[in-house]
Amino acid sequence: MDFFKPANLEELLLKMQESSENRYLLAGGTDINVQIKNGLIKNAEVIYINHLAALNGIKETETEISIGATTTYFDILHSNLIKKHLPYFQASLDFFASPILQTSATIGGNIANGSPTADVMPLLLVLDADLKLISKSNSRKIPVSDFYFGYKKHVMKPEEIIFKIVIRKNAEEGYQHFYEKVGARKTLTIAKVALAGLKKEKSGKIKEIKLAVGSLNEFARRLPKIEAYLLGKTVTEIDYNKIDELLNLEITPITDLRSDKEYRYHVCANLIRTFLNQ
Amino acid sequence: MKSIRKFDAVPKLNGSWKFLDDYSYQGMIFGQLLYSTCHHGIIKDIKFPAGFDLQEFTFVSAKDIPGENIVPEPECDQPFMAEKEVFHYGQVIMGITHSNLRILREFIKKTGVEFEELPAVTDIKECLDNEKNAFGKELTIDHRNGQKVDPTWIYHHKIYYTPHQEQAYLETQGMIAIWKPAEKMMFVRGTAQCPFFVKSGVESIMGKAAEKVEFETSEGIGGAFGGKEDFPSLLAGITALLSYKSGKPVKTVLDRSDDIKITTKRHPSRIEIKSWTDPKSKKIRKIDIDYRLDAGGYQTLSPVVLSRGVLHAIGGYDIPDSFIRGRLMRSNTPSNGAFRGFGAPQAFAAIEAHVENIAADLKIDPLEFRLVNLLRKDAEFPTTQLISEDHLYDCLQRVIEKSDYQKKVKEFKKWNETHKDKKGIGLAIGYHGGGYTGNGEKVLNSEIKVIIRQDAMVEIYVSSTDMGQGAHTTLAQMFFETIDHPREKCRVQLPNTSKTPNSGPTVASRTIYIIGNLLHDLALEIKAELGFENLEEYVASHQTEFPQEFRRNFIPDPSVQFDEETYQGTGYKDYSWAACVTEIYYHADTYKVELTKNWSVLDIGKLANPKIAVGQAEGGIVQGLGYGLCEFFYKPGFGRMHGFTDYTLPTSIDIPEMDIEFIHTDSEIAKGLGEIPMDFPAPSVRNAVLFALGIQINEYPMTPERIFKSLTADER
Repeated sequence: MDFFKPANLEELLLKMQESSENRYLLAGGTDINVQIKNGLIKNAEVIYINHLAALNGIKETETEISIGATTTYFDILHSNLIKKHLPYFQASLDFFASPILQTSATIGGNIANGSPTADVMPLLLVLDADLKLISKSNSRKIPVSDFYFGYKKHVMKPEEIIFKIVIRKNAEEGYQHFYEKVGARKTLTIAKVALAGLKKEKSGKIKEIKLAVGSLNEFARRLPKIEAYLLGKTVTEIDYNKIDELLNLEITPITDLRSDKEYRYHVCANLIRTFLNQ
Repeated sequence: MKSIRKFDAVPKLNGSWKFLDDYSYQGMIFGQLLYSTCHHGIIKDIKFPAGFDLQEFTFVSAKDIPGENIVPEPECDQPFMAEKEVFHYGQVIMGITHSNLRILREFIKKTGVEFEELPAVTDIKECLDNEKNAFGKELTIDHRNGQKVDPTWIYHHKIYYTPHQEQAYLETQGMIAIWKPAEKMMFVRGTAQCPFFVKSGVESIMGKAAEKVEFETSEGIGGAFGGKEDFPSLLAGITALLSYKSGKPVKTVLDRSDDIKITTKRHPSRIEIKSWTDPKSKKIRKIDIDYRLDAGGYQTLSPVVLSRGVLHAIGGYDIPDSFIRGRLMRSNTPSNGAFRGFGAPQAFAAIEAHVENIAADLKIDPLEFRLVNLLRKDAEFPTTQLISEDHLYDCLQRVIEKSDYQKKVKEFKKWNETHKDKKGIGLAIGYHGGGYTGNGEKVLNSEIKVIIRQDAMVEIYVSSTDMGQGAHTTLAQMFFETIDHPREKCRVQLPNTSKTPNSGPTVASRTIYIIGNLLHDLALEIKAELGFENLEEYVASHQTEFPQEFRRNFIPDPSVQFDEETYQGTGYKDYSWAACVTEIYYHADTYKVELTKNWSVLDIGKLANPKIAVGQAEGGIVQGLGYGLCEFFYKPGFGRMHGFTDYTLPTSIDIPEMDIEFIHTDSEIAKGLGEIPMDFPAPSVRNAVLFALGIQINEYPMTPERIFKSLTADER
């Protein structure tokens, strides 16, 4: 293992320019350290980034909240700014890990690590958050929904890093919201199923609907087919057989040591139904 | 008896108390185990990785053993290290040392063992369902009365399964061995429950090579729950051999992952019950119980677990005609071993579910059905032992009263009619025989020693260990409170097999019940012998008589007779009794059971220390609730768990508010407490699920996946 601690963001971005076959950025380390210990990460170049002030902190502009990549869940959960503008986002993250892990795990790490069960992803997806990616020579903003394309696969170039997460201040304003993380116990657990949802109704009809699921595919994703089907319908018009059918096209749950695919599918369907009838 | 603070509370909080890994000795090196990753096979070759200097390592395998390659156990069938054939995953093949722990771990990780694979049984049901896997001695308790089955009696035939359970002690297994060649003496220090078991383990492996073996526990023992009853003997033996061969002090501490993979767990069980109930009188007239345990690769102490299992199998019920059969089944998995409850939690998981199932099928209120069939005073166990007290009934009545059970049953039924989510309430009863089974305590013949110093300091020498349960506080208390001696002047000494007489292992709910009561009796005896009112004053005025040593042996009750062949007689002289009610909230969307409240009422006789007693009860109930709700270690098709990421222990917020009450505390005697809190909570969770959903789930635990499967199976 080869460890490197850049003095500042500049030096980090410079280092990222060098080609590397096996490189990890270590922020909170709550997952990477376990992987290193278990020999799943071997002979890698590990770059420590937690101390870089430029990557840390919650800021606002007139219309947006930005969260630096190495901001911890503890900071997000205790931010007055987030509490004021994104209370649903904040309250939902309370289900993340345990208080001890919340103080070291970072939001950027949660995203970059790429786990299909990453707790923050369904929330960022329904909030239509953007990711700001930067490199030595470039900077770009992409919708969070464009970030992954496969299991632990993402669109970042080798020289890029996640700089910050950007959420519109009014992203959850005026919406009815829903979040449920289903694990083997109430907390300190890996999600078997997670569902986040936002909806707006007008004269009894669904005017806007956003649904995102975690732990049910190779990466967390929205459910566009179900969203499209629901638009413009009243609650009584919804045909749940149709939703079940569409859900089958949108999720690919698996059976593993933790849970069963049939269970995961049915829980997801039940949660969607409960949200729609809320 | 007072709720005094544990004497080790402060040093444990400020970190000055030493656990095993806190000890270090001059020149100490590290030991680790190379174990089998094959379930059953012949060892063909061991390939060490390149890039290491083999001179820096010390290796021991079966061929290096100067003594016997057998771990002393109730059934001596397990070798310390495999010779040619391995019978289970996790079986130790070699012990290896190096001065650098990281290098050692890396070396072992890269070492490849080649096996010729042989057929293996690794699935729990495959092991338990197939009678051909039975091994060891079969136990039967025959209390049939030859009565003919009446055709109006209702027959129930069900099979219950319980899973493994991991002890999850905070401190993993660890041993330090120091070979002293000049004296041909092996000193071992470790985290263990049973000092004399470890000593005999080391004596067995060392044979004549060691003239003396001494074992002392570490100052702190970070939990055990039965998990440090027999595995420490194996670890101590191999660590001792490593020290003998390397000539250096060796410390072997397992990391959590190895500890979870290779150490003992609670035995999975398959308990098949056939019963005949008279619908008119609501009495169970006849019962037939087939109790099987998955012992793993070797029998080790499983015959004793089986014994306790069959003795508790009938539960708290007075059934005139009974037949109980107990068998151990072999699988190619690590040997299962002791865990709080020791065969009884499996028994109650089955019988308490069975009674609830009958009541549900016959549409009888489960409380009424229990009361009609309850084991009351003057009834008898299948062993013919007479029940001398009505305390099980008292526990049940009290818990019903304080939980407002009957009112809640009505309320919840009504609430459930109009809600998708459901509320549930479940009952369970239990009991636990204190001390070793049958003639066991007579055979153990425990001895205790007390030395009174010239400053009136009382030193207590017993081999009972304090593994966090507070035993050394309560044991001292049972001595000093008896003679009104100041607590600062009475201390239990760290168990050391050269200084401490053998007062037996710290198991079987016997520590307070046997050793504590012995200390109480010895205190009275010393007082009578010396004739003092105040010990401090007496010592001050009789300085020449001190230090003085006093000893006392366990005096068996001549009325306690037990026939090991027929299983007739007194299984246990005294029983602790309990009953509980657990309330749940069922989430229909996620099929999850949320525990909302538990009431437990226990009779453990006199309380040695009320606060410590409540702590013991809370801890055991949490383990019992986890056993019923979420803990399992193996999933068919996916194998065994590798650590706490997968093995789901409940956290503090999964555990409901617990209301614990002890009754009959004015009793003369302090009975067993350690295990009974573990025996009854699991079936109460299961029975609450039956109440809420109307489905009979006969396999533990009540995971949402299992509930989902049961519900959808009913739809089909």
